[in-house]
Amino acid sequence: MSLFELPILPMSATSAAGGCASGGCATGGCASGGCSTARPDQASETSRREFLKTATTLTLGAMSLTLLPGAMAGDESSSAATPPGGGHPPAKKPMYGFLIDTTKCTGAGKCLTACRVENSVPEGQARTWVERYVHFKDGRVEVELVPEIGYAASGEPQPEAEDVLRAYFVPKLCNQCVDAPCNQVCPVHASIKSPEGIELVDADRCIGCGYCVQACPYGIRYMNHETNVADKCNWCYHRVMRNEQPACVEACPTGARVFGRIDDPDSEISKRLATLPTGVLRQHLGTLPLTRYVGLTDEVT
Amino acid sequence: MTSFNDTRHLWALGAFLAAVGLVGMVVRRELVPDDFGRTGPYRASALDDIAARPSLFQADATCHACHESVEHERAGTLHESVRCAHCHGHAVEHVATARRAAEDPSITLPPAAEWDGDFLTNIDLYVTKDRAICLSCHKAVVGMPADFKKIDVALHLEEQGASEPLAKETCFECHGGHDTAP
Repeated sequence: MSLFELPILPMSATSAAGGCASGGCATGGCASGGCSTARPDQASETSRREFLKTATTLTLGAMSLTLLPGAMAGDESSSAATPPGGGHPPAKKPMYGFLIDTTKCTGAGKCLTACRVENSVPEGQARTWVERYVHFKDGRVEVELVPEIGYAASGEPQPEAEDVLRAYFVPKLCNQCVDAPCNQVCPVHASIKSPEGIELVDADRCIGCGYCVQACPYGIRYMNHETNVADKCNWCYHRVMRNEQPACVEACPTGARVFGRIDDPDSEISKRLATLPTGVLRQHLGTLPLTRYVGLTDEVT
Repeated sequence: MTSFNDTRHLWALGAFLAAVGLVGMVVRRELVPDDFGRTGPYRASALDDIAARPSLFQADATCHACHESVEHERAGTLHESVRCAHCHGHAVEHVATARRAAEDPSITLPPAAEWDGDFLTNIDLYVTKDRAICLSCHKAVVGMPADFKKIDVALHLEEQGASEPLAKETCFECHGGHDTAP
Protein backbone atom coordinates (compact mmCIF):
# COMPACT_ATOMS: atom_id res chain seq x y z
CA MET A 1 0.00 0.00 0.00
CA SER A 2 1.44 3.34 -0.96
CA LEU A 3 1.17 6.48 1.07
CA PHE A 4 -1.26 8.04 -1.35
CA GLU A 5 -3.93 5.45 -0.79
CA LEU A 6 -4.25 6.17 2.89
CA PRO A 7 -6.44 9.30 2.85
CA ILE A 8 -8.93 7.67 0.49
CA LEU A 9 -9.77 4.61 2.55
CA PRO A 10 -10.91 6.36 5.74
CA MET A 11 -12.98 8.76 3.62
CA SER A 12 -14.94 5.99 1.96
CA ALA A 13 -15.24 4.20 5.27
CA THR A 14 -16.78 7.22 6.94
CA SER A 15 -19.07 7.95 4.05
CA ALA A 16 -20.36 4.40 4.14
CA ALA A 17 -20.68 4.04 7.88
CA GLY A 18 -21.39 7.40 9.46
CA GLY A 19 -21.60 10.19 6.90
CA CYS A 20 -24.55 8.88 4.90
CA ALA A 21 -27.99 7.75 5.78
CA SER A 22 -28.96 4.12 5.16
CA GLY A 23 -29.52 3.35 1.51
CA GLY A 24 -26.43 5.10 0.12
CA CYS A 25 -24.61 8.32 -0.28
CA ALA A 26 -25.28 10.73 -3.10
CA THR A 27 -22.35 13.02 -2.52
CA GLY A 28 -18.90 12.75 -3.99
CA GLY A 29 -19.92 10.93 -7.15
CA CYS A 30 -20.13 7.56 -5.40
CA ALA A 31 -22.94 5.18 -6.01
CA SER A 32 -24.49 3.45 -3.04
CA GLY A 33 -22.36 0.60 -1.86
CA GLY A 34 -19.00 2.33 -2.20
CA CYS A 35 -16.73 4.23 -4.49
CA SER A 36 -15.09 2.79 -7.57
CA THR A 37 -11.83 4.55 -6.70
CA ALA A 38 -11.44 2.46 -3.59
CA ARG A 39 -11.41 -0.81 -5.51
CA PRO A 40 -8.02 -2.13 -6.56
CA ASP A 41 -9.53 -4.52 -9.12
CA GLN A 42 -10.70 -1.61 -11.32
CA ALA A 43 -7.27 -0.01 -11.56
CA SER A 44 -6.94 -0.80 -15.27
CA GLU A 45 -8.94 2.31 -16.12
CA THR A 46 -7.74 5.86 -15.43
CA SER A 47 -8.90 6.16 -11.86
CA ARG A 48 -8.36 8.90 -9.37
CA ARG A 49 -5.64 6.81 -7.78
CA GLU A 50 -3.83 6.40 -11.11
CA PHE A 51 -4.06 10.11 -11.74
CA LEU A 52 -2.70 10.95 -8.31
CA LYS A 53 0.17 8.50 -8.75
CA THR A 54 1.15 9.93 -12.13
CA ALA A 55 0.80 13.53 -10.99
CA THR A 56 2.83 12.89 -7.86
CA THR A 57 5.60 11.17 -9.78
CA LEU A 58 5.76 14.02 -12.28
CA THR A 59 5.70 16.68 -9.56
CA LEU A 60 8.41 15.01 -7.52
CA GLY A 61 10.45 14.52 -10.68
CA ALA A 62 10.11 18.19 -11.60
CA MET A 63 10.97 19.25 -8.05
CA SER A 64 14.10 17.11 -8.01
CA LEU A 65 15.18 18.74 -11.29
CA THR A 66 15.09 22.20 -9.71
CA LEU A 67 17.55 21.02 -7.07
CA LEU A 68 20.15 20.10 -9.67
CA PRO A 69 21.33 23.58 -10.82
CA GLY A 70 21.71 24.69 -7.19
CA ALA A 71 23.78 21.64 -6.36
CA MET A 72 25.95 22.13 -9.43
CA ALA A 73 26.39 25.88 -8.86
CA GLY A 74 27.33 25.20 -5.27
CA ASP A 75 30.51 23.48 -6.38
CA GLU A 76 31.92 26.45 -8.24
CA SER A 77 30.67 29.58 -6.46
CA SER A 78 30.14 28.86 -2.77
CA SER A 79 33.28 26.93 -1.97
CA ALA A 80 33.99 29.39 0.88
CA ALA A 81 33.03 28.27 4.37
CA THR A 82 29.35 28.81 5.09
CA PRO A 83 28.74 30.68 8.34
CA PRO A 84 26.98 28.83 11.15
CA GLY A 85 23.27 28.68 10.61
CA GLY A 86 23.70 27.92 6.92
CA GLY A 87 22.97 31.48 5.76
CA HIS A 88 24.31 33.25 2.72
CA PRO A 89 28.09 33.20 2.72
CA PRO A 90 29.71 36.64 2.89
CA ALA A 91 30.72 38.11 -0.45
CA LYS A 92 34.20 38.95 0.75
CA LYS A 93 36.17 39.05 3.94
CA PRO A 94 35.07 42.09 6.00
CA MET A 95 37.50 45.00 5.83
CA TYR A 96 36.27 47.33 8.55
CA GLY A 97 35.42 46.93 12.18
CA PHE A 98 33.94 49.06 14.95
CA LEU A 99 34.89 48.87 18.61
CA ILE A 100 32.85 50.45 21.41
CA ASP A 101 34.50 50.84 24.78
CA THR A 102 31.69 51.23 27.30
CA THR A 103 34.25 51.94 30.02
CA LYS A 104 35.16 55.21 28.28
CA CYS A 105 31.75 56.58 27.30
CA THR A 106 30.68 59.57 29.41
CA GLY A 107 27.21 59.94 27.91
CA ALA A 108 27.80 63.49 26.68
CA GLY A 109 25.96 62.73 23.45
CA LYS A 110 28.39 64.52 21.15
CA CYS A 111 28.30 61.55 18.76
CA LEU A 112 24.53 61.82 18.45
CA THR A 113 24.41 65.40 17.16
CA ALA A 114 27.37 64.68 14.90
CA CYS A 115 25.45 61.79 13.32
CA ARG A 116 22.32 63.88 12.92
CA VAL A 117 24.25 66.65 11.18
CA GLU A 118 26.24 64.28 9.01
CA ASN A 119 23.37 62.11 7.78
CA SER A 120 20.45 64.58 7.94
CA VAL A 121 18.54 62.27 10.30
CA PRO A 122 15.05 63.71 11.02
CA GLU A 123 14.11 64.87 14.51
CA GLY A 124 12.79 62.07 16.68
CA GLN A 125 14.69 59.36 14.83
CA ALA A 126 18.26 58.20 15.18
CA ARG A 127 20.89 56.07 13.47
CA THR A 128 22.82 55.77 16.72
CA TRP A 129 21.90 56.27 20.34
CA VAL A 130 23.32 55.82 23.81
CA GLU A 131 21.69 53.78 26.57
CA ARG A 132 22.43 54.13 30.27
CA TYR A 133 22.31 51.01 32.45
CA VAL A 134 21.96 51.72 36.15
CA HIS A 135 22.29 48.80 38.56
CA PHE A 136 20.77 49.80 41.93
CA LYS A 137 21.84 48.34 45.22
CA ASP A 138 18.39 46.80 45.71
CA GLY A 139 18.85 44.68 42.57
CA ARG A 140 16.86 46.76 40.12
CA VAL A 141 18.38 47.53 36.72
CA GLU A 142 17.15 50.60 34.88
CA VAL A 143 17.83 51.16 31.20
CA GLU A 144 17.19 54.60 29.75
CA LEU A 145 17.89 56.48 26.58
CA VAL A 146 20.48 59.22 27.08
CA PRO A 147 19.16 62.60 25.87
CA GLU A 148 20.86 63.81 22.72
CA ILE A 149 22.26 66.86 24.49
CA GLY A 150 23.46 64.76 27.44
CA TYR A 151 22.07 64.53 30.96
CA ALA A 152 23.98 67.61 32.15
CA ALA A 153 22.32 69.95 29.66
CA SER A 154 18.89 68.33 29.72
CA GLY A 155 18.63 68.65 33.52
CA GLU A 156 16.76 65.35 33.86
CA PRO A 157 16.50 64.15 37.46
CA GLN A 158 19.34 61.77 38.31
CA PRO A 159 19.23 58.74 40.59
CA GLU A 160 20.85 59.21 43.98
CA ALA A 161 24.50 58.20 43.72
CA GLU A 162 24.40 56.29 47.01
CA ASP A 163 21.59 54.01 45.70
CA VAL A 164 23.61 53.04 42.66
CA LEU A 165 25.82 49.98 42.66
CA ARG A 166 27.26 50.63 39.21
CA ALA A 167 26.26 52.41 36.05
CA TYR A 168 27.61 52.68 32.53
CA PHE A 169 26.74 54.00 29.10
CA VAL A 170 26.35 51.77 26.04
CA PRO A 171 26.34 53.43 22.60
CA LYS A 172 24.36 51.53 19.97
CA LEU A 173 24.79 51.62 16.23
CA CYS A 174 24.56 49.23 13.29
CA ASN A 175 26.28 45.95 14.07
CA GLN A 176 27.04 45.38 10.37
CA CYS A 177 26.28 41.69 10.68
CA VAL A 178 28.20 39.46 8.29
CA ASP A 179 25.04 37.34 8.01
CA ALA A 180 22.55 40.21 8.17
CA PRO A 181 18.87 39.29 8.60
CA CYS A 182 17.80 42.71 7.31
CA ASN A 183 19.61 42.13 4.04
CA GLN A 184 17.96 38.79 3.42
CA VAL A 185 14.35 39.95 3.63
CA CYS A 186 14.49 42.86 1.17
CA PRO A 187 12.14 42.01 -1.73
CA VAL A 188 13.66 44.53 -4.17
CA HIS A 189 17.38 44.17 -3.43
CA ALA A 190 17.59 47.66 -1.94
CA SER A 191 19.59 46.23 0.96
CA ILE A 192 23.21 46.16 -0.10
CA LYS A 193 26.12 44.34 1.44
CA SER A 194 28.91 46.40 -0.07
CA PRO A 195 32.15 44.73 -1.20
CA GLU A 196 33.71 46.30 1.90
CA GLY A 197 31.23 44.43 4.08
CA ILE A 198 29.12 47.46 5.03
CA GLU A 199 25.35 47.16 4.93
CA LEU A 200 23.75 49.99 2.93
CA VAL A 201 20.26 51.09 1.86
CA ASP A 202 19.68 51.98 -1.78
CA ALA A 203 17.18 54.77 -1.07
CA ASP A 204 16.26 55.09 -4.76
CA ARG A 205 15.29 51.45 -5.00
CA CYS A 206 13.68 50.98 -1.56
CA ILE A 207 9.89 50.74 -1.76
CA GLY A 208 9.40 51.38 1.96
CA CYS A 209 7.76 48.05 2.81
CA GLY A 210 9.51 47.96 6.19
CA TYR A 211 10.39 44.25 6.22
CA CYS A 212 14.02 45.04 7.02
CA VAL A 213 12.98 47.25 9.94
CA GLN A 214 11.14 44.26 11.38
CA ALA A 215 13.96 41.85 10.57
CA CYS A 216 16.79 43.67 12.35
CA PRO A 217 17.13 42.01 15.76
CA TYR A 218 18.91 45.10 17.12
CA GLY A 219 16.28 47.67 16.13
CA ILE A 220 18.79 49.69 14.15
CA ARG A 221 16.76 50.22 11.00
CA TYR A 222 13.91 52.73 10.91
CA MET A 223 11.54 54.19 8.37
CA ASN A 224 12.77 57.70 7.69
CA HIS A 225 9.58 59.71 8.02
CA GLU A 226 10.83 62.41 5.67
CA THR A 227 11.77 60.16 2.76
CA ASN A 228 9.47 57.23 3.65
CA VAL A 229 12.15 54.67 2.90
CA ALA A 230 14.23 52.51 5.20
CA ASP A 231 17.30 54.13 6.71
CA LYS A 232 20.08 52.91 8.92
CA CYS A 233 23.57 53.53 10.24
CA ASN A 234 26.04 52.71 7.48
CA TRP A 235 29.20 53.57 9.40
CA CYS A 236 29.26 56.79 7.32
CA TYR A 237 30.13 54.83 4.17
CA HIS A 238 30.65 58.05 2.21
CA ARG A 239 33.25 59.29 4.73
CA VAL A 240 34.96 55.92 4.99
CA MET A 241 35.34 55.76 1.21
CA ARG A 242 37.29 59.06 1.46
CA ASN A 243 39.51 57.67 4.21
CA GLU A 244 37.72 59.75 6.83
CA GLN A 245 36.41 58.47 10.14
CA PRO A 246 32.65 58.06 10.68
CA ALA A 247 31.12 61.24 12.14
CA CYS A 248 30.40 59.71 15.56
CA VAL A 249 33.98 58.44 15.87
CA GLU A 250 35.30 61.83 14.81
CA ALA A 251 33.10 63.51 17.42
CA CYS A 252 33.82 61.27 20.41
CA PRO A 253 36.15 63.16 22.79
CA THR A 254 36.98 60.15 24.99
CA GLY A 255 37.85 57.49 22.41
CA ALA A 256 34.88 55.30 23.29
CA ARG A 257 34.26 54.69 19.58
CA VAL A 258 37.04 53.24 17.46
CA PHE A 259 36.73 52.51 13.76
CA GLY A 260 39.26 51.08 11.35
CA ARG A 261 40.56 48.29 9.17
CA ILE A 262 40.39 44.91 10.81
CA ASP A 263 42.22 43.30 7.91
CA ASP A 264 45.27 45.42 8.77
CA PRO A 265 47.00 44.09 11.91
CA ASP A 266 48.76 47.45 12.47
CA SER A 267 45.59 49.57 12.68
CA GLU A 268 44.51 50.95 16.05
CA ILE A 269 41.35 48.87 16.13
CA SER A 270 43.23 45.65 15.37
CA LYS A 271 45.68 46.35 18.18
CA ARG A 272 42.90 47.11 20.64
CA LEU A 273 40.88 44.07 19.56
CA ALA A 274 43.99 41.97 20.10
CA THR A 275 44.49 43.19 23.67
CA LEU A 276 40.97 43.88 25.00
CA PRO A 277 38.30 41.33 25.90
CA THR A 278 35.42 42.11 23.56
CA GLY A 279 32.01 40.69 22.81
CA VAL A 280 29.12 41.18 20.42
CA LEU A 281 25.43 41.83 21.04
CA ARG A 282 23.10 38.81 20.91
CA GLN A 283 25.74 36.36 19.80
CA HIS A 284 23.26 33.49 20.04
CA LEU A 285 21.45 34.80 16.95
CA GLY A 286 24.41 33.89 14.78
CA THR A 287 24.34 37.16 12.83
CA LEU A 288 28.13 37.61 13.23
CA PRO A 289 28.23 41.35 14.08
CA LEU A 290 31.33 43.37 13.20
CA THR A 291 30.63 45.94 15.94
CA ARG A 292 32.37 44.70 19.07
CA TYR A 293 31.98 45.96 22.64
CA VAL A 294 34.30 46.22 25.60
CA GLY A 295 32.61 45.83 28.98
CA LEU A 296 29.36 44.13 28.01
CA THR A 297 27.12 42.78 30.77
CA ASP A 298 24.30 40.26 30.48
CA GLU A 299 21.76 43.08 30.69
CA VAL A 300 22.95 44.66 27.44
CA THR A 301 21.28 43.15 24.38
CA MET B 1 -4.83 7.01 -20.72
CA THR B 2 -7.20 8.75 -23.04
CA SER B 3 -5.54 10.35 -26.04
CA PHE B 4 -6.08 13.94 -27.13
CA ASN B 5 -7.85 14.20 -30.44
CA ASP B 6 -8.05 17.95 -30.34
CA THR B 7 -4.50 19.39 -30.47
CA ARG B 8 -5.91 22.88 -31.03
CA HIS B 9 -6.12 23.33 -27.25
CA LEU B 10 -2.45 22.49 -26.85
CA TRP B 11 -1.44 25.05 -29.46
CA ALA B 12 -3.61 27.68 -27.81
CA LEU B 13 -2.07 26.91 -24.44
CA GLY B 14 1.43 27.05 -25.89
CA ALA B 15 0.77 30.38 -27.58
CA PHE B 16 -0.70 31.78 -24.39
CA LEU B 17 2.31 30.71 -22.32
CA ALA B 18 4.72 32.11 -24.90
CA ALA B 19 2.88 35.45 -24.82
CA VAL B 20 3.00 35.54 -21.03
CA GLY B 21 6.70 34.73 -21.11
CA LEU B 22 7.40 37.45 -23.66
CA VAL B 23 5.47 40.07 -21.69
CA GLY B 24 7.31 38.95 -18.57
CA MET B 25 10.68 39.39 -20.24
CA VAL B 26 9.81 42.88 -21.47
CA VAL B 27 8.50 43.95 -18.05
CA ARG B 28 11.60 42.53 -16.36
CA ARG B 29 13.92 44.35 -18.72
CA GLU B 30 12.09 47.61 -17.98
CA LEU B 31 12.06 47.19 -14.19
CA VAL B 32 15.53 45.80 -13.49
CA PRO B 33 18.23 48.51 -13.54
CA ASP B 34 20.93 48.11 -16.18
CA ASP B 35 23.77 47.78 -13.71
CA PHE B 36 21.92 45.36 -11.47
CA GLY B 37 24.01 42.40 -10.35
CA ARG B 38 27.35 43.67 -11.67
CA THR B 39 29.06 43.49 -8.26
CA GLY B 40 26.39 41.66 -6.29
CA PRO B 41 22.63 41.29 -5.96
CA TYR B 42 22.01 45.04 -5.99
CA ARG B 43 22.16 48.16 -8.19
CA ALA B 44 25.91 48.63 -8.60
CA SER B 45 25.74 52.43 -9.06
CA ALA B 46 24.01 52.76 -5.68
CA LEU B 47 27.42 52.33 -4.06
CA ASP B 48 28.71 55.38 -5.94
CA ASP B 49 25.54 57.33 -5.15
CA ILE B 50 25.94 56.74 -1.42
CA ALA B 51 29.70 57.36 -1.49
CA ALA B 52 29.12 60.70 -3.25
CA ARG B 53 27.29 62.23 -0.27
CA PRO B 54 29.15 65.19 1.22
CA SER B 55 30.97 64.95 4.54
CA LEU B 56 29.10 67.49 6.66
CA PHE B 57 30.60 66.95 10.10
CA GLN B 58 33.91 68.80 9.96
CA ALA B 59 36.99 67.14 11.34
CA ASP B 60 39.40 69.38 13.24
CA ALA B 61 41.85 69.10 10.37
CA THR B 62 39.37 71.05 8.24
CA CYS B 63 39.28 73.90 10.78
CA HIS B 64 43.01 73.86 11.36
CA ALA B 65 43.66 74.22 7.63
CA CYS B 66 42.74 77.91 8.05
CA HIS B 67 42.96 78.46 11.81
CA GLU B 68 46.58 77.35 12.23
CA SER B 69 47.21 79.29 15.45
CA VAL B 70 44.40 77.41 17.20
CA GLU B 71 46.02 74.11 16.31
CA HIS B 72 49.23 75.22 18.04
CA GLU B 73 47.32 76.51 21.06
CA ARG B 74 45.52 73.22 21.51
CA ALA B 75 48.39 70.86 20.76
CA GLY B 76 49.29 68.78 23.80
CA THR B 77 46.51 70.13 26.03
CA LEU B 78 44.03 67.91 27.84
CA HIS B 79 41.33 68.98 25.43
CA GLU B 80 43.07 68.07 22.22
CA SER B 81 40.50 65.33 21.65
CA VAL B 82 37.59 67.77 22.03
CA ARG B 83 36.39 68.72 18.58
CA CYS B 84 36.07 72.31 17.39
CA ALA B 85 32.42 71.55 16.61
CA HIS B 86 31.59 70.83 20.25
CA CYS B 87 32.16 74.43 21.33
CA HIS B 88 31.70 76.35 18.08
CA GLY B 89 28.84 74.63 16.27
CA HIS B 90 29.01 72.34 13.28
CA ALA B 91 29.89 75.17 10.89
CA VAL B 92 28.64 73.38 7.80
CA GLU B 93 27.76 76.69 6.11
CA HIS B 94 30.92 78.34 7.36
CA VAL B 95 33.18 75.73 5.79
CA ALA B 96 31.22 75.68 2.55
CA THR B 97 31.45 79.48 2.31
CA ALA B 98 35.15 79.43 3.19
CA ARG B 99 35.84 76.95 0.41
CA ARG B 100 33.98 79.12 -2.08
CA ALA B 101 35.84 82.18 -0.78
CA ALA B 102 39.16 80.48 -1.42
CA GLU B 103 38.34 80.54 -5.14
CA ASP B 104 36.39 83.78 -5.26
CA PRO B 105 37.99 86.54 -3.12
CA SER B 106 34.88 88.73 -3.38
CA ILE B 107 33.07 86.43 -0.92
CA THR B 108 33.45 87.49 2.69
CA LEU B 109 32.86 85.20 5.63
CA PRO B 110 30.20 86.30 8.11
CA PRO B 111 31.44 86.60 11.70
CA ALA B 112 30.58 83.98 14.29
CA ALA B 113 27.40 84.61 16.26
CA GLU B 114 26.89 84.52 20.00
CA TRP B 115 25.66 81.13 21.21
CA ASP B 116 21.97 81.05 22.08
CA GLY B 117 22.37 78.45 24.83
CA ASP B 118 20.61 75.67 22.87
CA PHE B 119 22.62 72.50 22.27
CA LEU B 120 20.59 71.65 19.18
CA THR B 121 21.02 75.19 17.93
CA ASN B 122 20.59 76.15 14.30
CA ILE B 123 23.36 78.73 14.60
CA ASP B 124 26.02 77.54 12.21
CA LEU B 125 29.10 79.00 13.89
CA TYR B 126 29.23 80.57 17.33
CA VAL B 127 31.59 81.77 20.02
CA THR B 128 30.82 81.56 23.71
CA LYS B 129 32.39 81.46 27.10
CA ASP B 130 29.24 80.06 28.66
CA ARG B 131 30.14 77.49 31.29
CA ALA B 132 27.20 75.35 30.10
CA ILE B 133 29.49 74.27 27.24
CA CYS B 134 32.08 72.97 29.72
CA LEU B 135 29.45 71.35 31.93
CA SER B 136 27.81 69.55 28.99
CA CYS B 137 30.68 67.10 29.38
CA HIS B 138 32.00 67.66 32.89
CA LYS B 139 28.90 67.91 35.08
CA ALA B 140 28.81 64.81 37.27
CA VAL B 141 26.28 62.27 35.94
CA VAL B 142 25.61 58.75 37.21
CA GLY B 143 27.33 56.31 34.87
CA MET B 144 30.45 58.27 34.03
CA PRO B 145 33.77 56.42 34.16
CA ALA B 146 35.52 56.81 37.52
CA ASP B 147 38.62 58.43 36.01
CA PHE B 148 36.69 61.10 34.11
CA LYS B 149 36.95 64.65 35.56
CA LYS B 150 33.56 65.44 37.07
CA ILE B 151 32.73 68.93 38.29
CA ASP B 152 30.17 70.00 40.88
CA VAL B 153 30.31 73.74 40.29
CA ALA B 154 29.28 74.87 43.79
CA LEU B 155 31.70 72.47 45.46
CA HIS B 156 34.51 73.30 43.07
CA LEU B 157 34.15 77.05 43.66
CA GLU B 158 34.03 76.54 47.38
CA GLU B 159 37.31 74.64 47.17
CA GLN B 160 38.80 77.47 45.17
CA GLY B 161 37.66 80.04 47.71
CA ALA B 162 35.02 81.64 45.54
CA SER B 163 31.31 81.85 46.26
CA GLU B 164 28.17 82.06 44.22
CA PRO B 165 26.60 83.88 42.39
CA LEU B 166 28.61 82.98 39.36
CA ALA B 167 29.17 84.67 36.07
CA LYS B 168 28.51 82.54 33.02
CA GLU B 169 32.15 82.94 31.99
CA THR B 170 33.44 81.62 35.31
CA CYS B 171 35.35 78.59 33.95
CA PHE B 172 37.42 80.64 31.53
CA GLU B 173 38.78 82.95 34.24
CA CYS B 174 41.05 80.17 35.49
CA HIS B 175 41.13 77.53 32.77
CA GLY B 176 41.66 79.47 29.58
CA GLY B 177 40.10 78.77 26.21
CA HIS B 178 41.89 76.78 23.53
CA ASP B 179 44.92 76.25 25.76
CA THR B 180 42.81 74.75 28.54
CA ALA B 181 44.76 74.31 31.75
CA PRO B 182 43.68 71.53 34.15
